Amino acid sequence: MRNKFMTFGLALIGAVVSFGSAFAGPAGEVRSAPWQMWLQEPASPTAERIVAFNAQLLVIETLIVIFVLGLMAYIAVRFNAKRNPVPSKTTHHTMLEVVWTVVPILILVGIAVPSLKHLYFADSIPEADMTLKVTGNQWYWTYNYPDNGDFTFDSLMIPEDELKAGQPRLLTVDNKVVLPVETNIRLLLTSNDVNHNWALPSLSVKLDTIPGRINETWTRIHEKYAGKTIYGMCSELCGVNHGFMPIAILAVSKEEFEAWTKQAQQTFASDAPPVPMTRDIAAIDNVETVRVADASAAR
Amino acid sequence: MANAADAHAHDDHGDHYPGFFSRWFCSTNHKDIGTVYMFVSMFAALVGGGMSWFMRLELAEPGLQYLTGGAPDMQFYNVLLTAHGFLMVFFVVMPALIGGFGNWFVPLMIGAPDMAFPRMNNISLWLLIAGLALLLISAFVGSGVGTGWTVYPPLSSSIYHPGAAVDFGILSLHLAGASSILGAINFIVTIFNMRAPGMTLHKMPLFVWSILVTAFLLLLALPVLAGALTMLLTDRNFGTAFFDPAAGGDPVLWQHLFWFFGHPEVYIIILPAFGLISQIVSTFSKKPVFGYLGMAYAMVAIGVVGFVVWAHHMYTVGLDVDTRAYFTAATLVIAVPTGVKIFSWLATMWGGSIEFKTPMLYAFGFIFLFVMGGVTGVTLANSSADLVFHDTYFVVAHFHYVMAIAAIFAMFAGWYYWIGKMSGKQYNETLGKIQFWMFFVGVNILFFPQHFAGLAGMPRRIPDYPDAYAGWNYVSSVGALITAVGTMLFFWILYRTYAAGTKAEQNPWGEGATTLEWHVPSPAPFHTFEDQPDMSGKQPAE
Amino acid sequence: MSAVKSHPYHIVNPSPWPFLSSVFAFAMAIAAIMYMHGSTYVPMVGFLIALIACSILWWRDVIIEARNGHDHTDEVRHGLRMGMLLFIVSEVMFFFAFFWAYFNAAIPAISFVASPTWPPEGIVALPTWDLPFLNTLILLTSGVTVTYAHHAIRLGDNKRAATGILLTVILGLLFTACQALEYSHATFGFKDGIYSSTFYLATGFHGFHVIVGTIFLTVCYFRTLKDHWTPESHVGFEAAAWYWHFVDVVWLFLFTAIYWWGGPI
Ligand code: HEA
Ligand code: HEA
Ligand code: CUA
Ligand SMILES: [Cu+2]
Repeated sequence: MRNKFMTFGLALIGAVVSFGSAFAGPAGEVRSAPWQMWLQEPASPTAERIVAFNAQLLVIETLIVIFVLGLMAYIAVRFNAKRNPVPSKTTHHTMLEVVWTVVPILILVGIAVPSLKHLYFADSIPEADMTLKVTGNQWYWTYNYPDNGDFTFDSLMIPEDELKAGQPRLLTVDNKVVLPVETNIRLLLTSNDVNHNWALPSLSVKLDTIPGRINETWTRIHEKYAGKTIYGMCSELCGVNHGFMPIAILAVSKEEFEAWTKQAQQTFASDAPPVPMTRDIAAIDNVETVRVADASAAR
Repeated sequence: MANAADAHAHDDHGDHYPGFFSRWFCSTNHKDIGTVYMFVSMFAALVGGGMSWFMRLELAEPGLQYLTGGAPDMQFYNVLLTAHGFLMVFFVVMPALIGGFGNWFVPLMIGAPDMAFPRMNNISLWLLIAGLALLLISAFVGSGVGTGWTVYPPLSSSIYHPGAAVDFGILSLHLAGASSILGAINFIVTIFNMRAPGMTLHKMPLFVWSILVTAFLLLLALPVLAGALTMLLTDRNFGTAFFDPAAGGDPVLWQHLFWFFGHPEVYIIILPAFGLISQIVSTFSKKPVFGYLGMAYAMVAIGVVGFVVWAHHMYTVGLDVDTRAYFTAATLVIAVPTGVKIFSWLATMWGGSIEFKTPMLYAFGFIFLFVMGGVTGVTLANSSADLVFHDTYFVVAHFHYVMAIAAIFAMFAGWYYWIGKMSGKQYNETLGKIQFWMFFVGVNILFFPQHFAGLAGMPRRIPDYPDAYAGWNYVSSVGALITAVGTMLFFWILYRTYAAGTKAEQNPWGEGATTLEWHVPSPAPFHTFEDQPDMSGKQPAE
Repeated sequence: MSAVKSHPYHIVNPSPWPFLSSVFAFAMAIAAIMYMHGSTYVPMVGFLIALIACSILWWRDVIIEARNGHDHTDEVRHGLRMGMLLFIVSEVMFFFAFFWAYFNAAIPAISFVASPTWPPEGIVALPTWDLPFLNTLILLTSGVTVTYAHHAIRLGDNKRAATGILLTVILGLLFTACQALEYSHATFGFKDGIYSSTFYLATGFHGFHVIVGTIFLTVCYFRTLKDHWTPESHVGFEAAAWYWHFVDVVWLFLFTAIYWWGGPI
């Protein structure tokens, strides 16, 4: 019985995942494809776990729905007034009631255990190799690389009429965030105005940027994504252009990253000085969420 | 029991209707007040539904088709979205299920002559209407409320939403909230204090149980929202700093307070639906409810646990990991009592002799589609998995399955079930069934594809989306069109019922319908139970 | 209304007050918004007065019904008491929100952004054992006097009850006066950040409830003079007394949390 369940489950996961990967985005890009029915391909260790976990959840939930649907179909056929003119009067069955309380509890424990494991995994920030600071603004992102020359730049969406051929609508930005693969990247997020949310589905990163707070998380991009662009979108309603502040990460090899930072220090040096908040962040070490010392700077 | 009530119904002298103004504006009659609630709900459904259809129209294709005016139009989209959420939750579902059916049938089902505080009942109604008016105004002053129904500061603060619109929204909810608190007090006292002799709590119909639990949730949750709204109002207008980080305040505080109310709120919506479905399932299976006590206490359990899971809406604000672990576990727990309800309904139907009249079709559809929406809630409950789902269309699909499908199905089920009792006219069965199938097909085409869009990463609350999401959005919009037609058909049926419905019998549903409302004539006379029936020694009213 | 009625409940006649109150509440909301956005406050106050007038007329009806000898049966009074209790529960939850805001700002373990010290730097909290403590004593004493009045009513002695209520009202007014004095002496203004926000809204809403309770008790005072109570039936007074105790208890929490625990360091 258990075996059958497992086999069926694994088969279903297999089907779904292979179905999903058939929808991978265009070459060189990590984003969703037309008619995609499954999660975006996982490009970080957290994402790999969460995609797999979702597949398990989906199997369990599908089975529950099918079970209920099956019972209902049987009831509709067997116990309609034509087939069964005389209703029974049963209103109690203690054993049955115990079963339908205990079995769901067991299923839920089965869900909770891996769920919490993944939760703690996603949260425990490993020794960071570098830090990226992200600041949300209405309606663009500001990025700062404190460990790689402390340069700062803004990333804005390119409007539709300025797109070049092949650039995706609503996702293309002027300055991509360049990040190295196979590197533990610490992410520090905050905002200069309202709440935003820096979300990358294929990295399983999704964290609010909130004025007055710095949220911390991490990611690590799998090396096979070197050279590819990973897309995301602001995921917290932040005003009129909420739909128009995409995130684009260009994953590169470590060497390319080194080279890029050198060049970026030149390119972005002339830029306006970094927002005051980002200076405050630099002083903070290994804390998950902290109060910004001088929150008025957030304005 | 039948005899006592029937005999009395014949020499009922209670049908002295007051004049028009007195009857409809100054009413102290639970049935008239309930009727007005129903029509308020229908009006709000047309406005809120219209807004959603316009959103679906815009979202049908990628690119901007109708909102082509730049930033003001983007704001307009957000205003539509916000008003749609508010209208549907506060002014469609709650007025129909609690104000409408609750008012009509709680007194009838417990054999009480009216509500405990009839005048207070009326002020609940009119404060709700005042709230509705303020909400509609809020969409038209200045640039409207473009914050989403969650009204998170700082976006809703005076810097990012100057102008009076948000203040209108806040006061609208204040009034609607006061309305609900007063209504809740009224229901609790009515149920505790006015049951017919011999009708113990453990004999009350489950619909009454559901309203009782709901009323407690309202009583405990809404004042917290009122407090939060007051803070937002003073932040915006009088210089306090509750949610202003620049002065030591905390935007996340709002989210805690909002969801401390907001999560119980979603059970406020679904519990009366549960109660109603129990009545209908039992009636049309011609069987008493299976596991009556389990059913009642499952609702109590859902209500209690519902107060300690609020932060599952806040998994991405940066709560510490142990907190998120707790909220994951607590949220999962709710699936257990909910499962008890689902399986008890199935067991009630098991062995029954089921007649699939329109109300039963809706109840049947409810059970299945609520499970669909419930299990996606279980996915979202996992803080780890919510990292990919939060603020995507997967969440939109989840909550429309449990609200726009399940709760609305319950409303329709209740309407078809009780319209004979309320109006004295019976609907047309064939049209009713057609309407069910249109809605059933429509809402599934509408909301099922949103799961896929959400899995693929489409964020919510955006007026335009990357081209990859075009396919599922188009399908979804086709579904919206079908529900629009289904809604129109409902209003046609409503019109036909009042204009040309056949005379409803006292009990159109036969032996399965045992609760007290079926022991008074149709339409229920102006005053019922001048003489309370004696229920001692009787079975639970199921 | 109808001829036969064998149940003990009160079937109320149609009444214009709920509808009119709602209309004025609606108008007042709009006027308040106009006021908040720079317009005059006069219409708002006008509608407030209209709203209060409606409430007075409404409660007048209730008192008339209570006095007519047949509407307020035992069951109805039981319901009224239950209603008042539930209303107080909802009020408790209203204050719950403000306490939440307070602790959210004051205790770093609850919120990442809580102030590291409490009261926050730059705020000189009011001295605990000064006016606030005096106010605690005043309210506690008023709890005693109102209970004294309650006992007197139970014993049928409305004269002594009137004295008890009068004392309570005076203590209530005294409390309000002290509170006003305290506000006028505070070194921090209404707009001085999160401490002020939580302090003034929590204590301000409490003060508002004290005023409402005082008015409620004043009404009861005149009703006592007119001998409206019997030892068995005095729901109006009971409601006022419960309300007063509730206001009292909220103050104890405020005193402990804001003035004492959060007092000057
Ligand atoms: C009627 C309204 C309603 C109902 C009943 C529910 C029910 C549930 N909801 Fe939902 N929810 C909403 C309305 C509702 N929700 C709304 C409006 C939002 C979005 C708000 C916004 O952001 O705008 C939301 C969002 C929401 C989130 C936040 C998502 C996010 O924003 O990231 C979460 C996360 O935990 C969640 C979980 C749940 C759970 C676990 C249930 C459970 O109660 C479901 C329980 C039911 C079942 C599980 C099915 C039946 C059970 C069985 C057949 C037994 C066997 C089953 C198992 C063993 C699993 N909901
Ligand atoms: C109960 C609540 C409810 C209901 C019924 C609906 C119904 C519908 N909703 Fe929505 N919706 C919300 C609650 C609801 N919704 C909420 C809370 C949000 C989030 C807002 C936010 O993000 O802030 C939302 C957001 C939302 C979005 C997301 C927008 C975005 O994120 O950008 C979309 C998009 O497709 C949508 C579409 C629809 C559609 C097409 C319907 C259709 O089903 C509408 C069809 C019409 C009806 C179902 C009405 C029928 C009822 C009657 C005729 C009354 C009968 C009366 C009696 C019997 C008494 N809704
Ligand atoms: Cu930034 Cu949404
Ligand atoms: Cu919830």
